[in-house]
Amino acid sequence: MVGKATCVIAAAVTVFAVTVFSGSTANAASAEANYKFYCSQCHGLEGKGDGPNATKSQPVSPRNHTSATEMAKLTDQDIVNVIKGGGAATSKSTMMPPFGKTLADGEVTALKDYLRKLCKCKGN
Amino acid sequence: MKGVSFLRLAAISAFAAGIAFAGTSHAGVAEGKKIFDSKNCGGCHQVAGPAKEKSIEDQLAKKAPELWYAGSKFKKEFLEKWLKDPKPIRPMEYYSLTKKNAGNHPKLDGKNADEVADYLMSLTSADAKKAGIAPKGGPQGRIIFEKKQGCYGCHEVSKGGSTVGGLTGPTMIGIGDRLQPDWIYAYLTNPKVFKPVKDMPTYEGVLSESDLKILAEYVSSLK
Ligand code: HEC
Ligand code: HEC
Repeated sequence: MVGKATCVIAAAVTVFAVTVFSGSTANAASAEANYKFYCSQCHGLEGKGDGPNATKSQPVSPRNHTSATEMAKLTDQDIVNVIKGGGAATSKSTMMPPFGKTLADGEVTALKDYLRKLCKCKGN
Repeated sequence: MKGVSFLRLAAISAFAAGIAFAGTSHAGVAEGKKIFDSKNCGGCHQVAGPAKEKSIEDQLAKKAPELWYAGSKFKKEFLEKWLKDPKPIRPMEYYSLTKKNAGNHPKLDGKNADEVADYLMSLTSADAKKAGIAPKGGPQGRIIFEKKQGCYGCHEVSKGGSTVGGLTGPTMIGIGDRLQPDWIYAYLTNPKVFKPVKDMPTYEGVLSESDLKILAEYVSSLK
């Protein structure tokens, strides 16, 4: 009995600790979670540029993030700039929106790394 | 015993006074709340503020948009009409990237819908301040909406008789009939209060205050 109770208490403490911890870092979701939440609506869940907003009526298609040819044209700094400032930051379409006031700098850098994994490429 | 029954009496009259008060200001607030509770609308919708979501998981766990500031956000006539005949507002299922909105929202009949609308209009937020925003179409707003930013990337609009744009945001077709112009401005300038975690980028600090004002005027003019 005692063992069981201790176990329950330990579990409760862990849940509490995890809750408090994740609460204090509310902003810093993983790059994958951020990508699926913010980017996939246009770029698709796998990054192929086929999210639900990539309708036929749109003037430009969202970049295919799995395309090494396309993504290698961008330096790491270009990627950070375009995520923060939107398409205008790399002289592309403003259909790519700015996330500089939505995501913390660390989250943007983590997303840049995530994009490099999707394209399996480096910037030239 | 006497003390107890006195207390009970006091409680009952306070309750009655509450209802009577609500009754004189808005006809159906108390009745509307009863219907809202009995239909379990609160099983999906949050009606007590402030916003509680802190993380993406919190937001994705929500079954429906929050209604705790519905009276600051919606036009009453819209609610009365929509609750009787709910047509999809978001083309996709709430926060889904794969499923279309099935258009199966619970429906209310005439009197019930009007009373629930009265109740929802009583739920307001002090952060939705009066800003004197009035609907105004025209090129100034359109340039911000279509060129400076690509709002229709996520929000469908009506253009030359056809529907164009993205699908993940609420539709902007008929938004002028649906939302209060001042709320649109409050949301654009202070989104965190209403939607602390949302898939739409924050434009406060990206666009100037005057651009945000022109944008709110433009959006509230869309039919
Ligand atoms: C509203 C739709 C939309 C959303 C949301 C969106 N993008 Fe984009 N993105 C686009 C479009 C459209 C383009 C292509 C622009 C062009 O080719 O002119 C693009 C292009 C890009 C590019 C390539 C830029 C270049 O210069 O080639 C990167 C990198 C990018 N997006 C990353 C992201 C990331 C990361 C997110 C999430 C934080 C995101 N996007 C969210 C629509 C979107
Ligand atoms: C099963 C969950 C569920 C229940 C129960 C439910 N709703 Fe909803 N409600 C939703 C979803 C999801 C949406 C978004 C629909 C859309 O965008 O078209 C919504 C949208 C709304 C809206 C518009 C909100 C906005 O921000 O666009 C109102 C008003 C509303 N519901 C009122 C009610 C009332 C009143 C009831 C009870 C009769 C009710 N709902 C019951 C899920 C629910």
